[in-house]
Amino acid sequence: MPESLAFTRLLNYLFGNAVASIMQMLGIHPANPAAPIDDKFALELIVVLGLIAFFILVRLTLSVEKPNPAQQIAEVIHEFTGSNADQIIGHGYERFQAFVTCIFLFVVINNLLGLIPGLHTPTGFPVVPLGIALLTFLYYNFHGLREQGVVGYMKHFAGPVWWIAPLLFPIEIISHCARVMSLTIRLYANMFASDLVTLVFFSLVPLAIPAVFLGLHFFVSLIQAYVFMLLAMIYLSQAVAHEH
Amino acid sequence: MGCKREGASTVSLNHPLAANFQGSRRNMRKFQSVFMALAALCFAVPAFADGGSAPINLVPIGAGIGMAIAAGLCGLGQGRATASATEALARNPGARAGIQLLLVLGLAFIESLTLFTLVIIFAKVK
Repeated sequence: MPESLAFTRLLNYLFGNAVASIMQMLGIHPANPAAPIDDKFALELIVVLGLIAFFILVRLTLSVEKPNPAQQIAEVIHEFTGSNADQIIGHGYERFQAFVTCIFLFVVINNLLGLIPGLHTPTGFPVVPLGIALLTFLYYNFHGLREQGVVGYMKHFAGPVWWIAPLLFPIEIISHCARVMSLTIRLYANMFASDLVTLVFFSLVPLAIPAVFLGLHFFVSLIQAYVFMLLAMIYLSQAVAHEH
Repeated sequence: MGCKREGASTVSLNHPLAANFQGSRRNMRKFQSVFMALAALCFAVPAFADGGSAPINLVPIGAGIGMAIAAGLCGLGQGRATASATEALARNPGARAGIQLLLVLGLAFIESLTLFTLVIIFAKVK
């Protein structure tokens, strides 16, 4: 990548050699061995560090008498994700709320980073949504296995009627694997398309008009993060649901 | 379905725009013939231009047609979904939270189909 952010160059200067050697050991060949850390990874790291700093700040300044603005923002987010999780997962949603809240905040901030001039949208590259989708996939399968046991979870793939199970089982397995693909492509394509629309209109009218599409990007960012969170909740609720 | 939705049909007949509908139907015929002539011209032009030996690159045309079909049908689907959601909301404003949730989910699913087409076009057209 010819141009990169100052933070990316700093990361490459500090950890570039270590990351490159680890990747060589794992048998992965980075596209640019001199600078294996690229812009999107650096931006993701900034988002992660920012979120951790925000969480620590809120945790350290928790107060019932005098809530500060950071705590109020955190409470609004907690209410929002909590009410959605209660509606979808139902009883016992509190265990999963931390995960879905992190997913929501990470996706929404990564989406909104594209609005800052000079920065790419990290979720506009397929690998970033793929990472989040794989994490969601592992998380809900892990909780499904833990909740229902190996046999129970396999039974949940087979469906309620025993003689149609040989047909349903492969279909269910394929549809579960396709969830990773559909989560990835939905987020990636939305971000990519809204960036592209701005770019195309900028090449048509290089003044003022493309700014309208930044507003569209803003709405699409919020809605796609919301949808990502909802789908993670729906998959979780299906994985941990007990059949009575 | 027909007898249950009597409210919808009476509303559309008494609509002020319905009076204008008969007049516009006569104009429709003219438009139809004009469009048919234009369509014939569209097909005729490449036939005349075929004398040259340069091969025509059909990839952008195919991409455009594919994207147009995807976007148009996705628009129809989203329109149906939104229409039923607003109707449901008007009948039962109390169920707002659930309807909104399902509407947003459904719209995202429908929209993602168009975006799958876009991604396929980007993967294939290079």
